[in-house]
Amino acid sequence: MDVTPPTQTDGVHSPDGSPAAGSLAPRVGGPVRARRWRGIVLAGVALAALGFVLFRGLGNATLYFYNADEAVAKRDTLGEDRFRLQGNVEDGEVDRTSGTARFTVSYNGADVAVEHHGELAKLFAPGVPVVLEGRWDGEVFRSERMLIKHSEVYVEQNPDRVAAYDEGDATKAAP
Amino acid sequence: MTTSAQVETPRRRRGRNERLATTSSRFTRALGVIALLMGASALLLALVISPPEVTQGDAVRLFYLHVPLAVAGGYLGVGLLAVGSIGYLWKRTTFWDLLAASAAELALIFTALTLLTGSLWGRPVWGTYWEWDPRLTLTAVLFVLLIGYRAMRTASVDPQLRARRSAVIGLLAAADVPLIRMSVDWWRGLHQTATLNPLNPSLDGMMLFTFFWSMVSFAVLFLWLLVHRFRVAWLEEQLADRALDEAIAQRRAEAPQTP
Repeated sequence: MDVTPPTQTDGVHSPDGSPAAGSLAPRVGGPVRARRWRGIVLAGVALAALGFVLFRGLGNATLYFYNADEAVAKRDTLGEDRFRLQGNVEDGEVDRTSGTARFTVSYNGADVAVEHHGELAKLFAPGVPVVLEGRWDGEVFRSERMLIKHSEVYVEQNPDRVAAYDEGDATKAAP
Repeated sequence: MTTSAQVETPRRRRGRNERLATTSSRFTRALGVIALLMGASALLLALVISPPEVTQGDAVRLFYLHVPLAVAGGYLGVGLLAVGSIGYLWKRTTFWDLLAASAAELALIFTALTLLTGSLWGRPVWGTYWEWDPRLTLTAVLFVLLIGYRAMRTASVDPQLRARRSAVIGLLAAADVPLIRMSVDWWRGLHQTATLNPLNPSLDGMMLFTFFWSMVSFAVLFLWLLVHRFRVAWLEEQLADRALDEAIAQRRAEAPQTP
């Protein structure tokens, strides 16, 4: 509610060019309704532009990781660049000597030998998908940071099933 | 939760519309008891009764808090923020504006808790508290937009201007939610793809029940809090109106009587 008295300027127009209260001068600009629609359309365009930028930006510029097969195919272009590599930890020996873990990750038929210096993730194990941060060193991927990419499948821990699996009864163990 | 609308006029006799203002009713008291019982049972199921997961172990328990918080804050909270914002821009009434404001405030709290539980869950499972994964980034954007919305509510401008600007920020926040939803399908990140597939749930029995129960409980809890928050906002609005009316009446009384 406006309880302050209107300020007088030239008596006809207020400083922004619109007629002062009580003035008989013609209005400048369109009716309120048309201006409201213009605002809504502008906001819609701005929203669409924001959505487009977010989509393109997140889709291309910040590709979160390369899968192992893509990283192998792009080895020459990647050169010494730091990037993230995703793949499943292969079965087999994980050699942990003097703070270095050596293992193989694979994805879509491509194998990559990894030398990891640093903390091993708590859930690190054969078969688990990992995201490694590092760079190519010849044929070997040297990583310093390991993250686990967890799956959407949740399986209850159940001693009976583990026992059944150990006895070779895979039908009982299969979820 | 009781607010007194009597602060301004303590000595005035209580008339027909002068009852002690409260945000509770028989309906909200019943809803509150149900919400708290459901919340407690959901916590018990999630943290004690449900089994550990094969690879994650006990860390999976945060899943039953993280996802329902995200769903209640994102879909219910920001959804109602969008409804209130569109309703205000269309009808220009206080009801829609206050609905949007109340939903946004709860959405902010639920989104903050989503980020917190996600961070605590991410440390044991992913190996990091924070990572610029697309879904995390977009949720951080939502969090910032909701803080911006809250800041807009406290701005001391003309109430109609504030409501209009708030509605625009509310719609911006609402546009972010479908992006968060689709981010796991459109872009690569650490987040899993959707677990909630009604035809083929990738959760074992007891886990599925705990998850479902927790989702419903957090939704009921959200709605209960929303009713109270909305009523507090409504009473504040009435109080402000009354204070203004009384101030005007006082000024008029001070003016010299015209013959």
